[in-house]
Amino acid sequence: MDKYTLSGRVAREGLRLSRRRFLVSTGALVAATACSTAPTGQQQGGGQAAPAGTVKLAAWTIGPDAPSYYRRDNLVAAAATLNKELEKDGTKVELEATFESGGSWDDYKQKFVLAAEAKQAPDIVVAGHEDMAPWAAAGYIVELDPLIKKYDSKFKDVIPTLWDAMKLKDKTYAIPQDTEARPLYYRKDLLAKLGWSKDKIDGLPDAVKKGDFAWSDVVSTAKEAIAKGIVDPASGWYHRPSRGHDFYSWYYANGGEMQDKASGKLVLVPSALEKFYQVHYAAVKVDKITPEQFMGLPGKQWNETVTAGKVLFYNAGTWTWKDWQSTYKVPEQALWDNVGFTLVPAAQRGGKPFTLSHPLVYMVTASSKSQELALRLIANATTPELNSQHSVTSAHLAILTTQEKDPTYQKDKFLLATSYMLGYTTFIPNHPKYGAYDEVLFRFLTAVEQGQVTPKQAADSAVSELRTQLRDELIVR
Amino acid sequence: MARTGTLQLEREEQAPSWWRTNATAMLFMGPAAILVIVFFFVPVLLTLGMSFTDIATATGLSGWQWIGTANYEQIFRGSFTGLIVRNTVIYVLLVLTFNVLVGLGVALLTVHVRDQVGGFFRAVWLLPRISPSVVYALMWTWAAAPPPFGIINEFVAPFGVAPRFWMNTDPWMFILFLNGFVGASLGMLIFTSAIESIPEDLFRAARVDGANAWQIVRRITVPLIRWPILFVLVYQSMSLLASYEYILLTTNGGPGLYITEVWSLWAFHTALQSYAGNLEIGLGAAMAAILVLVGVAVSAFLLRAFRFNDLVSEPRVEIT
Repeated sequence: MDKYTLSGRVAREGLRLSRRRFLVSTGALVAATACSTAPTGQQQGGGQAAPAGTVKLAAWTIGPDAPSYYRRDNLVAAAATLNKELEKDGTKVELEATFESGGSWDDYKQKFVLAAEAKQAPDIVVAGHEDMAPWAAAGYIVELDPLIKKYDSKFKDVIPTLWDAMKLKDKTYAIPQDTEARPLYYRKDLLAKLGWSKDKIDGLPDAVKKGDFAWSDVVSTAKEAIAKGIVDPASGWYHRPSRGHDFYSWYYANGGEMQDKASGKLVLVPSALEKFYQVHYAAVKVDKITPEQFMGLPGKQWNETVTAGKVLFYNAGTWTWKDWQSTYKVPEQALWDNVGFTLVPAAQRGGKPFTLSHPLVYMVTASSKSQELALRLIANATTPELNSQHSVTSAHLAILTTQEKDPTYQKDKFLLATSYMLGYTTFIPNHPKYGAYDEVLFRFLTAVEQGQVTPKQAADSAVSELRTQLRDELIVR
Repeated sequence: MARTGTLQLEREEQAPSWWRTNATAMLFMGPAAILVIVFFFVPVLLTLGMSFTDIATATGLSGWQWIGTANYEQIFRGSFTGLIVRNTVIYVLLVLTFNVLVGLGVALLTVHVRDQVGGFFRAVWLLPRISPSVVYALMWTWAAAPPPFGIINEFVAPFGVAPRFWMNTDPWMFILFLNGFVGASLGMLIFTSAIESIPEDLFRAARVDGANAWQIVRRITVPLIRWPILFVLVYQSMSLLASYEYILLTTNGGPGLYITEVWSLWAFHTALQSYAGNLEIGLGAAMAAILVLVGVAVSAFLLRAFRFNDLVSEPRVEIT
């Protein structure tokens, strides 16, 4: 046994090397190692120049909505332009990009985590911006500031507010892939039946922007429509029927905060939380503009009901505008004729309206042996032409200031009409414990609508539970 | 001394070695024992170990730390713990009672009708068990869909029952039926074979003595199938404590604030499903570890309460 070990026993057994033999052996070993390693192109880390040879890159992207396939196709197109740039260095990038459509975020994220642990992660992964917090903490993705600085001309036209969602404790870990807004949609035909003039209907987004039309006006209008039989009972306002980030627009609108900028800790404002719950409690239990037992309604049924014009106000993402056309076969002109969209009105008149965005982002993984090339690939995908193509296909908003002048983007009047919403947008926090925070707030929201607890009880219990779970990672204001 | 040495030698020669005595048993039980150790004991030990760490997506497999009993403290201080314990107790007791009573009832009924009819009826009862879980759960979800849809709404409308979103308004009823129809089929099969193996003479003698059907069931059938009943009780208690798939596929612990969340689903949600990304594997492992301990305690209690040792002991009188 001894002779197979690397311990001192080897020497004791009489294996003796002359200096000459040692040098020859070592030289041979180094030469053999050099020959056996992959081309230098595949060993490139951050900050190095492009290597000669073929470099294989892999990227994972996801919809899950089918029209978002340009998340993959834009990277493929970017690989072509990158290869032209790399010609003089003798480098060629071979990209293997995948796009998952119709799957679940949970499965996709779990697959990435397992791959990252096995050091088999792709070079680039597209996911929600909030994923960067746990993934950066685990060391699955890398900070991009040095590379962004090196190629800053490629990113200069990114809409500045979007960078807020790309940072974790002042370090940038991601590049925006797309974004959206979550408007309040309204039926123009139903408002007309209520006696609203065309000017008043078309002017609603401006009235909301100015704070002249507040949330209380949404509620009173919905109640009036129900009372006059223009919509069925409890069909005045539909929020989304399942878990999602949209709900927090009402928390922000009532003075809520989610993250402390200085410390990066999560924040709860109990008074705003209670008002957030009160909005939903009142909608279901007091004003009866939203159905009882609403959470859990199948998405298909929700969409069929709103596209049939049976609900006066409803919240959904900008991307659903395209989904209603492709999946629910509503002609675009019918949408323009009958459906309007505005920001979520301010909590009180004179206040500021809100929306919430959830940008998807590109991240470069720690497993990547070609991080700089991966970032250059992302940079080449971050152009007005490519992003506009994705925007018009999937109804996601521009992430570049230059997109608004892009001919493709210019042709899409829905995108042009909703782009201003990014000026009013908010984000969910980038924090590793956001999952626990979101779980508690959402469960109490469903409890309030179910009538299990009052808004005050929900707010108090949520604060108490999150204090237990998050300890010093939570600030209560 | 020489005499003692001789005696010892004789004894050693007479007494076979431990290995010689147990070699056959070890040979037969060895593979199964290895499987049990690798797939049952090792995971339990790993779960216990992980429950004392902060392992999560954010720590990865390399950045975790030992945190002592902090996960257990968080569970016992949490405001949802009491509610989820209560849900779990209700779920296990309710579904277990349904499984055993309905399984026994169907078994008794089907052995007292013509073989073909009984066999057909039992085959129908087996359908939920042989259907894929997801398909079975989806069928229930569609049946209980919100108005204006849902087969149940169609059925009850002629009786003046207002249409509703049954899965949200009566979630426990659906969880009971969903699990019960699957679970009862196992008891039905076991009880049927046990009842059919009771010697016919006993039933004839009872009838000659004037016993009615209820008395026969109570005084003869049930006492003679105590062992299968114990097996079904213990096995299904453990299954139910650890099962959550139908709840996950239908109510997912809702509606509202954990109305149907049971302990095993809570552990799953914490460790393996996070809407916003960070799986808290250490905390989920602590929940699973508590479940294992409760499972062992419940099994021990049931085995003691039903005098398991008496049931499996050699009969005192052997009739040849």
